[in-house]
Amino acid sequence: MSVFKLSRRDFLRVSGTAAGGVALGVMLPAGNATAGHSEHFEPNAFVLIDSEGNTTIHCGRCEMGQGISTALPAAVADELEADWSRVTVLQADGDSDKYGPQATGGSRSINTMYVPMREAGASARMMLVTAAAKIWQAEVDDCYAENHFVYNRKLKARLSYGELAAIAAELPVPEKPALKTKDQYRYIGKPLPRHDLGKVVVGERTYGIDTRIPGMKFAAIKHVPVYGGSVKSFDASEAEAMKGVEKVVNIPRFQAPYGSLGGIAVVANNTWTAQQALAKVKIEWDRGPHGGYNTNAYKAAMVEQVEKPAKPVFKRGDLKAAFDAAKVTHSATYVQGHLSHSPMEPMVSLVSVTEDACEVWASTQDPEGIQRTLGAYLGRAPKDILVHVMISGGAFGRKFKCDYVQEAAALSQAVGAPVQLAWSREEDTKTGYYHSTSVQHLEGAVDSEGNVTGWLHRSAFPTIASTFDPSIEWPREQELGAVINHPYGIRNLEVESGHAPAHTRIGWYRAVRALFEGFAFNSFTDELAYQSGMDSLEFFRKLYHNNKDPDQAEQVERSLAVLELAAEKGGWGKELPQNQGLGIAVHYSFESYLAMVVQVEVIGDDIKVHRVDCAVDCGEVLNTDGATAQMEGAVVMGMSLALYTEISFRDGEVVNSNFHDYPVLRTSEVPPIINVHFAENDYKATGLGEPGVPTFAPALTNAIFAATGKRYRSLPIKPVYS
Amino acid sequence: MSDKIIINGKEQTVDVDGNMPLLWYLRDELNLTGTKFGCGMALCGACTVHINGEAVRSCVTPVNQAVGKQVTTIEGLSDSGDHPLQRAWIEHKVPQCGYCQAGQIMNAASLLAQNPTPTQEEIEQGMQGNICRCGTYNRIKNAIASAAVQMQEVKS
Ligand code: FES
Ligand code: FES
Repeated sequence: MSVFKLSRRDFLRVSGTAAGGVALGVMLPAGNATAGHSEHFEPNAFVLIDSEGNTTIHCGRCEMGQGISTALPAAVADELEADWSRVTVLQADGDSDKYGPQATGGSRSINTMYVPMREAGASARMMLVTAAAKIWQAEVDDCYAENHFVYNRKLKARLSYGELAAIAAELPVPEKPALKTKDQYRYIGKPLPRHDLGKVVVGERTYGIDTRIPGMKFAAIKHVPVYGGSVKSFDASEAEAMKGVEKVVNIPRFQAPYGSLGGIAVVANNTWTAQQALAKVKIEWDRGPHGGYNTNAYKAAMVEQVEKPAKPVFKRGDLKAAFDAAKVTHSATYVQGHLSHSPMEPMVSLVSVTEDACEVWASTQDPEGIQRTLGAYLGRAPKDILVHVMISGGAFGRKFKCDYVQEAAALSQAVGAPVQLAWSREEDTKTGYYHSTSVQHLEGAVDSEGNVTGWLHRSAFPTIASTFDPSIEWPREQELGAVINHPYGIRNLEVESGHAPAHTRIGWYRAVRALFEGFAFNSFTDELAYQSGMDSLEFFRKLYHNNKDPDQAEQVERSLAVLELAAEKGGWGKELPQNQGLGIAVHYSFESYLAMVVQVEVIGDDIKVHRVDCAVDCGEVLNTDGATAQMEGAVVMGMSLALYTEISFRDGEVVNSNFHDYPVLRTSEVPPIINVHFAENDYKATGLGEPGVPTFAPALTNAIFAATGKRYRSLPIKPVYS
Repeated sequence: MSDKIIINGKEQTVDVDGNMPLLWYLRDELNLTGTKFGCGMALCGACTVHINGEAVRSCVTPVNQAVGKQVTTIEGLSDSGDHPLQRAWIEHKVPQCGYCQAGQIMNAASLLAQNPTPTQEEIEQGMQGNICRCGTYNRIKNAIASAAVQMQEVKS
């Protein structure tokens, strides 16, 4: 990582002002290897101060509600000693040469960008201080920066950042900027509000769906309902005769990982006309090879499969001997359905394709993916696709895949105008990229002291890799890595996988495999504890303590720490009224550690969560409010998927269509108390967008078991289409 | 028949098919994009606006039903973004992605107009039709409760 000064030309270009100022770029090692001090140097993150003191920080990562456009720029502003009220955050356009990798997923933004962004801020601060010292002809050590000014202790004078910017711009960039210590933080670790809250509450924050440009048309689409199917024939005469309709377009399937499924779209002068006309197009589908997909039958067949020996993936020790010598043995099978991300803003993009240019405005998590996909589709260089990253109204992994952008490009080509395509909620629900349905069969052996001595873990789920290569019909070994390397200390372990061909597009969903792995590990641990007549917390402790592998010492220590913190704060072991129970779960994913204690009351079918205590270790916390919000959201999404959400297929088609039969949690069911407790440590900052979700469902089902003796091994607990 | 609507205090002449949902009229014809599309079936509340002060789901309200009436959208809820609910939303740092929040605020505003001192249960009942996929529900409820108190204090 290094910090560079922008050339005067670059400064002009990015600041849009001729007034002098300082502009720094940050280059990540993963960035453009050819970048240097040359005229053409294109740094990948900007900190800009103009002669008025206005400060601009570009956020290269995509904002979708997780708060990254506040957390990272605030870290820059902190090191810069900038006055946050003078800072404007801009969402950067898609340009990985400049901004480094922009694909925003895997809870990686903070992990990779935190230190480089701070160093950029610290460099700029040091340059401003040096500039002031020069003016005063004073020692640098007598000068210090504070809240947009540089002060001179001896002279009792001060100069503003605006006054200093032009002079600072002439100075060399410090080699190794000194970062602040914790006690000097101004914004880091504080509950700083999102930078654009004020815009949200007056309806002025512009999402992808809100993009408006002159001459644009509006479009609606109906996709091929079965994956791999196609349009056999269609009659658009009635639709095309409607006033305001521009064109009815047959979009063929584009065989790329993020390409269109294929379908019929209508381009019109407004969204409603497009929707109305679309309903009038008579379409006959060819249902293709997956017309027999039926999720209930599929899950049943997978269960049958994993309850028998399957394909060995990993083996440690002698499992058979462990079982032969065990005091307690137990087995269980866990099942989860497909999930749809269903962000509140559905898939929308606006694309303008002309002979020599292509411009995109899209809510997206992956501008580079758009450049690649449209580059391939249009036969142009990815760099020639200009992508404006718009704020996403939620994404949860769905907006990583840009099929909706490629479709808008096809429509723009077809009508020779910019086209905004907005999917209906029905299309979003029925033709997405779904979280894998999964089954896991576990067998455990416990000795007379309550140590788990043997663990068999057999998984089957259609893999995300199938979306890229349909011939892949088994989970790949790396997808079982979290099972193989789980920080439990178990001497004898066998991991197997089952055959699971995909019949729909499988995609990343918030927390990905950790959702079902966390459910299986934590549910089965609770079951084994019960079978062994032991307290669950004590049983968890033993499982971690038994891991003596020095390579996993940190994982063990941090897992135990959040486990203890959640147990203490959640009142593990406390007396509860009748029909109530406590459940505990702990899981490590995306380099962060989570534990939860859930307090539930069950009366008949009514499941009421009274309280959730979350213990979080994501290393240093950048923004306590943002991190807390992520956990509150994780609890709500965890509860949605534990209780209700499942995408069901019948005859190859998704049965669900909208929020009435894909019900997500509503306000009355949200746990009234969601406490978030942060572990205090100095580990490096890691992400929190995903790790909060996996622990909720098992903590809930463990709590339900404690309250009622009923064990739920299949999620959701209340499926709509069972 | 008159074809005028007052939207955020400004008179508009409706020159589209009267069956067009108010949502799309606002968004596509008037570029008032603060009102959001979420489901199109009155299931999520993202599109909530006021007609003569009452919350309606604009995705299922034909524009001709608003003719001759006052429509208020999030852009017109207050003159300078200082409605007690807007202030409470900022104070409680409610939004995550923020997409649902215009609908949440508009729904809450009509709730408080009808019931200035709602109980927690009444708030829940009143807000049950508004989905927030990011899970900001508890903050929404707290913000509504504190705005209600604020509004009472101003009155007395
Ligand atoms: S868009 Fe109107 S209620 Fe959902
Ligand atoms: S804040 Fe994202 S849907 Fe409510």
